[in-house]
Amino acid sequence: MNDPNSADEDLAAVEQVVAGDARAFEGIVRRWQGPLINMAWRYCRDRGRAEEMAQEAFLRAWRGLAKWRREGSFSSWLFALAANVYRSELKRFPTETLPMESAPEPSGPAAQHSELAAQLSHEAVQRAVLALPLRYREPVILFYFHEMDVAAAASTMGLPEGTLKARLSRARALLRQRFPHLDERQAFHTPHKPRKMGQPNVGDREMDQETGKEAAL
Amino acid sequence: MNRAKRDRNEEREGINRNARIETEIDQILAGEEELMPSSGFLGSVMDRVRQEAALPAPIPFPWKLAVPGILLAGGVCGWGGFELMRSGLPLMSAFTVPLPVLPRHLSAATILALEQAGWVALALGSSLASWLLSRRLAGASGIL
Repeated sequence: MNDPNSADEDLAAVEQVVAGDARAFEGIVRRWQGPLINMAWRYCRDRGRAEEMAQEAFLRAWRGLAKWRREGSFSSWLFALAANVYRSELKRFPTETLPMESAPEPSGPAAQHSELAAQLSHEAVQRAVLALPLRYREPVILFYFHEMDVAAAASTMGLPEGTLKARLSRARALLRQRFPHLDERQAFHTPHKPRKMGQPNVGDREMDQETGKEAAL
Repeated sequence: MNRAKRDRNEEREGINRNARIETEIDQILAGEEELMPSSGFLGSVMDRVRQEAALPAPIPFPWKLAVPGILLAGGVCGWGGFELMRSGLPLMSAFTVPLPVLPRHLSAATILALEQAGWVALALGSSLASWLLSRRLAGASGIL
């Protein structure tokens, strides 16, 4: 989950920031902006809001760096802090979600051959996650954000692994009940796994929000 | 025999099906596309960090000055409460009127117990109100 080089760089940057060099924080933001925005995106499914929440998380991290006790890795601390920020933000201004029953069931077998149907099916499942009750939603978000690593998700939520597993199991049962024909679609599309979500940014690429194109820094 | 076998097969098929659906859910949720940060994100975070860094350090709470004041205020409140109880209780007992709702056959001990229960209920009610108020205040400030 955590690249040792990145961990060393984080530690060095933290030391510099705590010593009073605010510019050193830029390295931390550069490395972790991708994961934090993607994590926020999974909480709210709204790009603009995800960036606002990630920005707030970075500011809280900036304010709290001196209090970080270095007991775990920097990334674990940062993810736990971000999860707290996102949870509070969504409690203050909840996202508009459909009830679980209203999440549309993907279309029938006739349409399954198309890429579009697969895409719709993916979006329906992703929307259904946001419609889960809060106690089940967050374990699902963090479990898949951490590439199905129970220990990392439990650490981010500050829960025992057993509790997280139980909530995850219940959440998956709810999703399974909502999409009972999902297995019939399995043969018709190839899943893609673009990158490891909880990893820091290795390249310094960013996406221009206006054009949607990648821009080199 | 055949029926039992068929039931077992159906059960096995159900389990397999659930596993296939969960695998599909795993693939969908784990394989989400990466969202790239917008070009201005880093800059806007650093702008806000610089703004905060430029602010003067927050003034620490003046505990040295506040502690004697808090102790003094506590003492005054305690003394006031004590005086109120001392002078107020005899007055209250002077004004106590027999409750018409209580049946006459109740013993003095029962009436005393009922009075005490009333005080306990009042204390519990005020504790509940205080707890609700503190939760509300903490929630409004984002602590809870």
